[in-house]
Parts: sequence; C-alpha cells; structure tokens
Amino acid sequence: MDEKEARLVELVLEGRTEAFEPLVTPYRGLLLTLAYRLSRNIEDAKEISQETLMRAFRYLGSFDTKRSFRNWLLQIEMNVWRSLGQRAPDEGVLRELAAGNPTEDPQERLAGKETREKLLVCLDGLSPREREVFLLRDIEGRSVRETAEVLRTSTLSVRVHLSRARNKIRLLVKDRFPELMGAQR
Amino acid sequence: MNCSRLGKWLPLYAGADLSARRSRRLEKHLETCADCRLALDELRAALAGVRDVAGREALDWPEADWKRVLARVLSAKPEPRRAVRAATFPRKAWAYGLAVILVLGAAVLVMKIALSPPAAPLLTEVLMPTPARPSRALMTYETPSPRQLQDVPYGVQPERMTLDRTLLAAGTTPEKTTQNMMSMTLVSQETGLQVHWTFNRNFEWEEKKE
Repeated sequence: MDEKEARLVELVLEGRTEAFEPLVTPYRGLLLTLAYRLSRNIEDAKEISQETLMRAFRYLGSFDTKRSFRNWLLQIEMNVWRSLGQRAPDEGVLRELAAGNPTEDPQERLAGKETREKLLVCLDGLSPREREVFLLRDIEGRSVRETAEVLRTSTLSVRVHLSRARNKIRLLVKDRFPELMGAQR
Repeated sequence: MNCSRLGKWLPLYAGADLSARRSRRLEKHLETCADCRLALDELRAALAGVRDVAGREALDWPEADWKRVLARVLSAKPEPRRAVRAATFPRKAWAYGLAVILVLGAAVLVMKIALSPPAAPLLTEVLMPTPARPSRALMTYETPSPRQLQDVPYGVQPERMTLDRTLLAAGTTPEKTTQNMMSMTLVSQETGLQVHWTFNRNFEWEEKKE
C-alpha cells in the first residue's frame, strides 16, 4: 500500500469520511468492470460494486495497511459476488448485454458490441471459480499468489483452475473466434 | 517424453506460471514435439486475444450514479478500528498449534524410550549342542571363535566350555566336528519353568519340562 492511500485510510478512520472518495475513486472502474465480468449483468455489477464499497467503508478499521488496498477491495468484491449466489444470466440477458450496456453512449455501444460478445461468450464457458481465477490472473494481471490471497485459497488451487480455464479459453477461441488468434500470431 | 503428462503443463507455461524446473523439462520436450509446440502457440494466441478484447472494454460509473453510491456509502456507520494483529491472525493457527503439540509429544516419547533401561527378557534361550561321533553324512558344526561368541545376541548363552570338554573327551577336534543331536532349553525368568527340547537328525523331537 502506498503512502498516499495509507494517509487517506488514517483520515477516514479519524472521522474525516470525505477522504474515502479519493481513496476508492481510482478503483471505481475496476470494481464495476470486474463485477460485470463475473455476473455478466450490469445491474448485478452495480449492486456488487456498491456493496463492496459499503463493506470497505464499514470495515476499514480492520484493514491492515501493510496489505495492498486494491487486493483488499478485490477480496471484498469476490466475497460479495459469492454471497449473491453467483447468479448466471439466461441467454436472453446475455444477448441483451452483448448489444450494449447502459453506462455507455450509443456510439460506444455499437463499437463495443462485438468485442463484448466475444468476451462474454468466453467467460460464460468457464465455471464460477475458473472465471474468478482467470479474470484476476489473466485479465487483471494479479500474480498467482495475489489471486490466491484475494480468493482466500491456496496457490495450488489457483494453478489447477487457471490451467483448466486457459485450456477452455483456447478451445473456445479456436472454435468460435479464430480471428482473435490470427490477430496475435 | 510423454505428451499427455507434459502437455498438462502447457497452460501454466503459456502464462509464465510454471516452476523453473518444470519449465526446463517442458522446453526440452517442446524441442522435439511439434504437437505440443502448436498447442502452446494456440494457447498464447488465445490468451493474448482475450486480453486484448478485455483491455478494450472497460466500464465506468456514470458520474451521477457514482455520487449517489458514495453518498449512500458514507451515510453508513463504520465499525470501530480493530487491532491489526487480530485481523492478521493466521486462519490456520489451530492447525499450527496442533502440529507443535504433536511434535513435542513425539519428542518426549522418543526421549522416554531412549533414556529408559532395557526390559528384562521373559525367556532365556540356551543352546546346548550335543556333540556326537563325526559323520560325513551330517552337516558340520564349526565351533564359534571367541570374537563370534562376544557377538552372540543377548539372551543366548552357548555353553561353549561344556561343548569343548565333551568334544575333547570324545577325542574329536574342536575346530571341525559333526552332530546328530541338538537340544534347546527355554527358561522362564518369572516362573523358573524349564522346557528342554531335544531334536535328532531326522528332526524327531522330545520335550521335557521341569
């Protein structure tokens, strides 16, 4: 955790709650995007993100400033996502989401439609645990150790699920979106 | 090399998450296996493609929604500050404690066994070979050397002197002789009971208790 964040945490804990906004603002997009990729539903994503911020504020007193604040937020979000029952959207919702999400303007929706559909289809082929591990390690760039810490599991478990997830992604991309592989070769 | 075994490491290797030792083994295998090289290329390309797609898609809150969420969050009451030590207490502390207790218990047990005097044997086995006239048809019996006698296990008491005297009286050489009878006496140190077993050359035996 950097010094600036540690100072902001101290301020919030001293009762100056306005310091909470600059503390969490750098992560607002990350929390919403990760929640969306986990739930594949923008309304659920907003609910998960909001609950994550609520819990972070409420339990900031128990946060160990030696730890990464970012990882702590991610850990809370994973817990919230699990406590919501890891609802899976039906096909109709998926198609609707692929067409666009309400946080973007119409032009962005159109441009992002194809991209979003590809990513959602890939993530939908993974089990909940594989999706969590894949998103944290391969999309968010957390290390295996950090991923295990966030998910409160062992590094061995992370490696097992990561291995399965990557194999599934490889087959999905190869079958459904070979152009993605071609672009990288 | 086995593709089905080493091929399982490819997904982790593709993301640089495989250990150095396994990576070296896999790299050696990849030099000679075209199928695994192709699978690795596909894995890397697929992962890079998905990362690229994900990097282009980032959501953010509309400002009004964000302000509303923050206002709701800040209206909540935070929990009082907790000691960090309590928060960082290892989740498996009970397991570590149990392991320490088990190790200490094992150490005490080993010390107790090592320091206690050896238990007295319940039975003493006494071998008393009965010499007889030499016969080429029977197995030879070699008198043990003093060195060998020192190495006789605890509880076995070969009556060498008696044997030697008998042998000398029979006029045979002590170095090489034969026997066609063998007796064994078991003595209980608790009850004093003695059991004599006598075997002849055909392993016919007699038992006598005292």
